[in-house]
Amino acid sequence: MVVKMRLARFGRRNAPFYNIVVAHARTARNSRPLEVIGTYDPIPKKDTYDTSGKLHKDIKLDITRAKYWVGVGAQPTDVVWRLLSMVGILEPKYRQPGKPQPEYVPPPPAPATNTETTEPSS
Amino acid sequence: MPPRIPTSSASSSQALLLNQFSELVISPRLSASSSHHNGLITATANSTFQTHNNSQRQRSSLSKRQFSTTPPRQRLTRQRKQFWQWLETSGAVMRDATQPMNYVKAVGARDTSEDSRDMPFPLNPEFRSQSVLSDEAREIIWKSVVEEGQPIKVVSARYSVDMRRVAAVLRMKAIEKRWKAEGKPLAIPYAKAVQKMLPITQLGQVPHEPINDVHVHSYTMQQVFYPTSESREFTRGDAAKAFGKHIMPVDHKIRIPELINLEKQLAAGVDRNVAEEDFTKAALESEQKLKEREANRVRELEEAKTKVDTGRFEFRIENVNVEELVGRDGRSRKAVGWRYGVPFNDRKKGMVKIPTKVE
Repeated sequence: MVVKMRLARFGRRNAPFYNIVVAHARTARNSRPLEVIGTYDPIPKKDTYDTSGKLHKDIKLDITRAKYWVGVGAQPTDVVWRLLSMVGILEPKYRQPGKPQPEYVPPPPAPATNTETTEPSS
Repeated sequence: MPPRIPTSSASSSQALLLNQFSELVISPRLSASSSHHNGLITATANSTFQTHNNSQRQRSSLSKRQFSTTPPRQRLTRQRKQFWQWLETSGAVMRDATQPMNYVKAVGARDTSEDSRDMPFPLNPEFRSQSVLSDEAREIIWKSVVEEGQPIKVVSARYSVDMRRVAAVLRMKAIEKRWKAEGKPLAIPYAKAVQKMLPITQLGQVPHEPINDVHVHSYTMQQVFYPTSESREFTRGDAAKAFGKHIMPVDHKIRIPELINLEKQLAAGVDRNVAEEDFTKAALESEQKLKEREANRVRELEEAKTKVDTGRFEFRIENVNVEELVGRDGRSRKAVGWRYGVPFNDRKKGMVKIPTKVE
């Protein structure tokens, strides 16, 4: 069965919050996945003491695990592809002509070494 | 059903007279006393158009209350009599609300000494009004910290105002000054009214509050039998260890530990100015250390994030290690993301739903 990297919607009505998960393609959206590799909060936030009005979105991602799952053939959905391309794991799929492209920064080193061949513990 | 007004169906001259009279002097007592004409008036039931119109106008101009037929209670009860007596004797000061801290005194209490001045509830001597800082005092604190750049610890020790209160004053002053600059209205009458009800400290007169209070840990409330050698020095630090491994000695617990050194120096006969200079230096150093530590913490957090600006939003991607956080059974509270198979009680009865931070 195809293993996908996709979002699972949690949160509340009008307050979405996503887990970035690795799961079998035919399982339900919010069913227990193979592994949770991060979160994506799609609600734009302001910095507390920033008056410029610039908004940001928070993502948590285990880059090492994401690389591992891409390496063994997990298929990211478009949204996850976009998120993964931001940390340089994948080439960006869609480029919008005439718009400034995000600058791809090499990812910082992971806080601890992950054993990449072990089964996920979740 | 319309209210029964004696004049509503008036045709007799007596009723008309009443009608005019009640227009002149509108009082519930009058309408009550006129109600016994009711029978007579309703017996001659033919009302002319004119009087009917008149009564309607009157009905709309009077409130319902004035049609009450209940006579107001005139009897002077004993309590009421005592109240009036009190208001003319010892309670006379209460007529005038311009005095500050004009609290009610206990009935028959002759004690007008300073001791009972801050008791808002005359029969509860345990409840005392705590004094607040005056406007000038708050301005002085703001100036000495923000304009003169003195450390908060020094300001707190000099004026004997708790460090947390000093910090609070600075925050409130910052907001106040910003609002003034923005031209926002301040609730000054409210502040004045509150200040009138409470004792007020002017800085430099008396200590505002004790600044060396420490939390007493329940472990230190017990008696401990701890054998130790007589030849050995037994300090407060050792005493803290005897009570428990995690118990801190008082020297570390007080908010301004630099004061200990100051007192030691004074006891050793060092000149007061020199000792205070040393204290200021130590306080400044500790404050700078704290600032650096906090700045480092924030910087490290920020540096661990990859920032990608797409123009519209900035995506901040934090690298985490899910395997460490997920726990043995995958249900750890520290795990990344929404948890599976465990209830999320955020909307349950009794849970606090007030947001804990404002952004």
